[in-house]
Amino acid sequence: MSATTTTTSTPSIPQWDGSSMFHQIRVLTGRSLRALVTDPGVVLFGLLQPVIVLFMLTQVFSKMGPPPHFPAGISYLDFVLPAVLIDNAVQSAVQSGVGLVEDLKNGIVARLRSLPIVPSSLLIARSIANLVRSAVQAVIILVLAVTVLGYSPHGGLAQVAASVGLTLFISWSLGWAFIAAGAWLRRAEPMQNLAIIAVLPMMFASSAYIPIADLPAWLGAVARVNPLTYAINATRALALGIPGAGDVLPALLFGGIIAAAGATLAVYGFRRPM
Amino acid sequence: MTRLTAPPPSEVMIEAHEVSKVYGTVRALDSVSISARRGTVLALLGHNGAGKTTLVGILTAALPPTSGRAAVAGFDVASRPREIRQRIGLTGQFASVDGQLSGRENLVLLARLLGAGRKAARARADELLELFALGEVATRRAQTYSGGLRRRLDLAASLVGHPEVIFLDEPTTGLDPSSRINLWEIVEGLVAEGTTVLLTTQYLDEADRLADSITVLSSGAVIASGTAAELKASVGQRTVTVTLDGADDPALAVAALREAAMEPVTGRQDGAIVIPIAASRDIAAVVRALDNVGIEAAELSFGEPSLDDVYLTLAEQPARLASPSLALGATV
Repeated sequence: MSATTTTTSTPSIPQWDGSSMFHQIRVLTGRSLRALVTDPGVVLFGLLQPVIVLFMLTQVFSKMGPPPHFPAGISYLDFVLPAVLIDNAVQSAVQSGVGLVEDLKNGIVARLRSLPIVPSSLLIARSIANLVRSAVQAVIILVLAVTVLGYSPHGGLAQVAASVGLTLFISWSLGWAFIAAGAWLRRAEPMQNLAIIAVLPMMFASSAYIPIADLPAWLGAVARVNPLTYAINATRALALGIPGAGDVLPALLFGGIIAAAGATLAVYGFRRPM
Repeated sequence: MTRLTAPPPSEVMIEAHEVSKVYGTVRALDSVSISARRGTVLALLGHNGAGKTTLVGILTAALPPTSGRAAVAGFDVASRPREIRQRIGLTGQFASVDGQLSGRENLVLLARLLGAGRKAARARADELLELFALGEVATRRAQTYSGGLRRRLDLAASLVGHPEVIFLDEPTTGLDPSSRINLWEIVEGLVAEGTTVLLTTQYLDEADRLADSITVLSSGAVIASGTAAELKASVGQRTVTVTLDGADDPALAVAALREAAMEPVTGRQDGAIVIPIAASRDIAAVVRALDNVGIEAAELSFGEPSLDDVYLTLAEQPARLASPSLALGATV
């Protein structure tokens, strides 16, 4: 027996040759999306707030009649639905940050770090999963609005599609902001607090639920500088076929800046040792 | 991928040379040097905060060392982290698996990330599920697993890529006795196949059973290293262990033994006093010394020193004892 025969059985070359970043992102996105399939409660819970807001506001305002500056000839449902979709987009974005924190907490990140994969793959996978989830929820809300409440915006199908597309872009860019927050905070509680403290007032101090001109003066002032106002105005203008499409460009710009800053911060925050 | 140099069978697979890690003013590791050859088990022994996990972090290319150099499987941690990650498995102190996924899905996920095709990934997952007797719970979500099952899945997860070097960071902490023995047997099987293992532990029996060589860390510094036998020999060839009656004063007994030119070691959890002796006839000297102060041992045993004795003896040396956290009796 020669010495070499006993040692060749030990692998000195790795079993598998590693994977491309594209492959890693695909596998990790599949993993993040799996929860949507195996645990439908995740989607249902995510839908809870936007759907409650949708039903409550439409019921309340249809009884009260429109505020003075409400655009003429438009039902409150048509007015508020784009804002509800933006709310849904924001909630979904928050969840992408919470998901990352959970990965950090349950140690799966530590495990992935010991593998030959690009760390940003996990962040990008989280971002894509957020986008898919946001889209699934948006479709459910739209179906509910059309079938139960009778949503029929003036803009037509193509315009509504463009509106939803812009909403998803906003969701994707805000997702990066919350992924960055998760990568730096690394704890679920401050993330949830951030979501409540930042998101709720941001939605109310905007053009989401009533026209800015009908808000109290100070709130109107906040709403005018609130980036969400641009996003809501733009998606609303698209869906309703009313003037205001001029806000599309600022909305895209705002989304692009948030995404770029969020992604950069996320990569840096995530790189810090555990 | 081809390697530049094929490793000879006796290759050093884990090496740290004067590695230090400083966090602000805290010196987590102080010029630590270790080395382990292929197919051997190196145990890092020490209390919480001794620096074991920090050293594992550096060797798995997760943390950069402040100074010094380290290599795993012949690749430098600073310049070749990817090559290292392709060849190592890591099991941390806390089971790191995805609770949302089933056991099988966890293993398939990791195999896919390592570059295995779907079919190969499933085959590897099933192989590991069988090896770790996880077949029955394979399709259950990992978050429903008991602690022992989770730990087993975690160890299986670290083996997906057929690693040449495995880092086990306190792998049996919190496990029940039969799960511990089960895990030890798996580790022994891997080592027999040529895998190199770095094991950190607070349990001396674990190091004694598994390790070819042992490095004892305290406050970030190596305070002893060698084989279990060498460490035991450094304490003394043999020891007498005396257990006192509850009514007797241990301090009085210790004083009497010191009077008789012996070096009693205290601090064991059971309160026993360990006295290194040169020859078996010295047992009589121990009994006489105690008798002089009117103490009769409730129990007296004679034997080879255990690693507990080694650890306590090392910790007794004040010059090397840098932190009060290593105070005697602190062993968990």
